[in-house]
Amino acid sequence: MLLLQLLINGIQLGALYALTAGGFSLIFGATRIFHFAHGAAFMIAGYAFYEIYDKLHLPWYLALIVSALVTVAFGVLLDRLVYTPIKRHENSFFTLFAGAFGVGIIVQNMIGFFFGRGFVAISTPLSKGVPLLPGLYVSPLAGIAVVVALLAFFGLHAFLSRSHTGMALRALADSPELVRAYGMSPQKLSQTAFALGSLLVVPAAILSGASAGLNPSVGSHVMLISLAATIVGGVGSLRGAAFAGLLLGLAESLALAWFSSQWSEAVVFVVLFLFILFRPSGFFGRALVH
Amino acid sequence: MTWTRHLAAAFAAGAVLGASAARADDLKIGALLPMSGPNAEYGQTFGAGADLSVQHVNADHVLTQKLVLTYEDSQALPMQGVLGMNKLVNVYQTPFVLTGFTGVSKAIAPLARRNQTVAVNGGGVGPDLAQLGPYFWNVIPLANSEVRAIVPYLVNERKLKRFVLIYVDDPLGQSINQELAQDLPPAGGQLAASFAVPAGSQQFGGVVARVRDANPDLIFIASYGAQQSQIVKQLRDNGVSQQIASYSAFSIPAINALPEAKGALYTTQRFDWNAKDMLTQRFVTDYTQKYGRKPTAYAANYYNAVRLFAILAAQLERDGKPVTGANLLAERQRLQHFDLVGGSVSFDAQGTVRAPIQVNQIDGAGGTVVSTR
Repeated sequence: MLLLQLLINGIQLGALYALTAGGFSLIFGATRIFHFAHGAAFMIAGYAFYEIYDKLHLPWYLALIVSALVTVAFGVLLDRLVYTPIKRHENSFFTLFAGAFGVGIIVQNMIGFFFGRGFVAISTPLSKGVPLLPGLYVSPLAGIAVVVALLAFFGLHAFLSRSHTGMALRALADSPELVRAYGMSPQKLSQTAFALGSLLVVPAAILSGASAGLNPSVGSHVMLISLAATIVGGVGSLRGAAFAGLLLGLAESLALAWFSSQWSEAVVFVVLFLFILFRPSGFFGRALVH
Repeated sequence: MTWTRHLAAAFAAGAVLGASAARADDLKIGALLPMSGPNAEYGQTFGAGADLSVQHVNADHVLTQKLVLTYEDSQALPMQGVLGMNKLVNVYQTPFVLTGFTGVSKAIAPLARRNQTVAVNGGGVGPDLAQLGPYFWNVIPLANSEVRAIVPYLVNERKLKRFVLIYVDDPLGQSINQELAQDLPPAGGQLAASFAVPAGSQQFGGVVARVRDANPDLIFIASYGAQQSQIVKQLRDNGVSQQIASYSAFSIPAINALPEAKGALYTTQRFDWNAKDMLTQRFVTDYTQKYGRKPTAYAANYYNAVRLFAILAAQLERDGKPVTGANLLAERQRLQHFDLVGGSVSFDAQGTVRAPIQVNQIDGAGGTVVSTR
């Protein structure tokens, strides 16, 4: 029963990791920007929902819409106001990373200033586990996390493979000039990538905020997992990030069945290390959005 | 345009020089507290008590100079703590530094000893903080005292025998693990299982499954900051309804406001907020007025730490001696007893306060004292 419980916990955790990693991977795959502020987008989404739903007591769907709008606006504005000027001047990977890192720190401190530096949780009865079998508790949030992740990935996959914008996004990383030759704007496509990547993090942030709570420093953990899943999945592969997120969540949870509890997070990085050693291109090899 | 710039630069330089001149007359002490990161809530709570104390010392003109608290952010990390301590000691030359957290305290203690700067801890409770030398003082009882106080209460009065411990994998958590393993059998209890979690860990679904599998009477949590709230929430969300207990790290607003933590027991040093002495009354009244909430044991500890400095420095001023770390230490050893919030206290030979412990229960309204040890 313990193993089954850990398996279900792992699937729930993996679904959330897949959503956060998928957003990061989509942005990195299309723009080649190491968007360290992806963790900040996660925090903005979670805290916006918490403020509107828990503090202002407005309906959840309104909180969801506002949270999504604020997070997408953050991603798009960051691209327009921070990354685009840097790209225009020198386009150095490290300068872009430093800019993203700085924004992440600023957002973390602003959230601490406005919402307090302590722990908060989105209160919902959906986070309460119900006994399905003796010793097996599953919360409705676990099912919601899996369904949302599946819908998000199938929807995004359809968009990227069937729409002109989606196909252009896939081409953007390799050849912005080719994209421009076809009459499309690389800058607008970059903003689309940021909008979609930021949108993907919204359900993950809300579901995490309800199941594990939020604090202003949660973003760095989100980034670590996103980065690990992106590498394990294959840099730039959305499908790879999704599978890798699920794998890392399962590994973190199932490790508890055989190892001491302090090793559960280390297992994530053991998996990462093994992939770097034996399959450096990750699950789905090539550095493009598939 | 050029003249405007020159004027602005001259004005800025004048303002800086003026401010520096004013500050040169101040008596600075340091506060090396976590102001960012997952434990920043502690820094806010610690600083709230210390700031109020500085305000009272200055309002009462206890010292001839204005007392100023200079903050450095430790982030509750040893490396950041050492950087901050170096700045406080070498740049600001503070003779007295407030600190907290076991790891940070252990990291800065050699600097305090080498520079003869008094470091006072009001938040870290690792038992080995008692062994950090004459320049390291604790105005908080340490974890071993807290565990020794709560174990007999839980086993004998609450009839909770089978314990499971979830502890952060650092010196503090490890020391509580050792203390419980040592204290439970003689008291008639049993430590059925211990689960170490990494300091940055945020997901505990798997650990909760293992806890439920161990079928304990009580879950003891030895963590701090946002992590302990996450553990409590995830325990309750995943169907673990047994009694929760902890140590003084639960003495923060976030835990007290967490619905899932209601009913949890935790220890702090004994403070009677209704005590009739003027000092306690003033602290409670002004703290509640200033921050809009009841004070916590942590806030009182840091209030007391600053007040302790003021008492010692005032005596040194009266004796015509400079306010240095060495003189502060000599004066503390000479005076022995100090009137602080909560009553008269003394220090043991190693510089740790002697204080009774109380067991508190979270009730969502600031807590209730259920036992005094």
